[in-house]
Amino acid sequence: MNNSSKKGGFDVDIRSLLKIQHKKVYAICRLFADTYKEHQFLFTNIMAAASQNIRGRRENSDKQTLVLRACINMAALHSITMDMAPVVERSIQFKSPDYQRSMTRLRQSMGEASDYEKFRLFLELEKMPVEELTHLTGLPHSKNASGKKKEKEAELSKTSFNFIPYLKRQLVWN
Amino acid sequence: MELKKLQEHWDSFPEVSMEERPILSSDLEKIVVKNPLSDAFYLRRRLLARIIVFSVLWIVNAVQLRSQWISDGPDISELVALCGLLSYCLYFHIRLLFFADYPTLLSLPLISFLGKLETVLDKYILSFKFVSGLSGFYVLALIQYLLSGWNKGAHETLSHNDWYKWLILIFISVSVDILLLHSIIPKYRKLLAGVRKYKEGIQAKAQNK
Repeated sequence: MNNSSKKGGFDVDIRSLLKIQHKKVYAICRLFADTYKEHQFLFTNIMAAASQNIRGRRENSDKQTLVLRACINMAALHSITMDMAPVVERSIQFKSPDYQRSMTRLRQSMGEASDYEKFRLFLELEKMPVEELTHLTGLPHSKNASGKKKEKEAELSKTSFNFIPYLKRQLVWN
Repeated sequence: MELKKLQEHWDSFPEVSMEERPILSSDLEKIVVKNPLSDAFYLRRRLLARIIVFSVLWIVNAVQLRSQWISDGPDISELVALCGLLSYCLYFHIRLLFFADYPTLLSLPLISFLGKLETVLDKYILSFKFVSGLSGFYVLALIQYLLSGWNKGAHETLSHNDWYKWLILIFISVSVDILLLHSIIPKYRKLLAGVRKYKEGIQAKAQNK
């Protein structure tokens, strides 16, 4: 029996998937949010993004990947927004003393990790293969990054027409 | 060794306290129907509003152009130019809306997502040039309408002198463009620079690893 019935316009399948995956969403929030308000905001946005991705998905895309992409994309947007906000001293602020302690310890162990490193760390700590990062971010895998880049360039030079680069940029929005 | 310690700490991480936790079960429906993109990044409604306004203006313009064509009126060149500009504006905005494809935007891999966001913001900033151009036409029409009530002689002179009309039109368009450049556009430029910097930063990090 198909259990993807709709209840008030809401897909039950998405509900159960998001409930299963919510720990991963909490996990990425830990790496990117400094206060409980940021944490709540990022969490709800990731959930909304994941649900939107699943509802608008194409046949060949995997639900788990779509949830992880929502996590990474929303975390990146959160970072961009935080970078643009007026500079204020950012400190860890959680109400629960236990959580506050754990978050402070986590930040100390991470140091000044960049977002790319945080994404890698997220996959590593959530016991997912690091190669998955290429699939989620579109960035080349570090070990063979340069090799792949060269391959890609060679492929491009073979297939692409000799457009004037400026004209091509104007005509084709990539 | 360090990673092993971190993994242990990660595995024993406490749950978020009930007080700080977003409510999952009953509010899940509310959470998932909300738009995850902030207003600054989500331009769909603004693009749709512009498309509707441009469509109405295009229809009005087509009716005016037809009547001027039949009566061999003096404003044909102006109306033809306005029709061309409105048609291109409509095409540009519809294309941008389809390109942005907001329902599937967040399911793209990070770099493609940021690249698309960058292109959408860049094109949206460019679209303000069309708004300036259009405002030139409509402010000129407003001036002509006001002059017809206040000073018939000035109105007659302006109506029959294309040079004056085009000079005023260019002056108004450039003025509106400058006004937009200093009022609305900086906000989007800052956003675009933020997205670009982030994308380049993360690409550089990935290549250095």
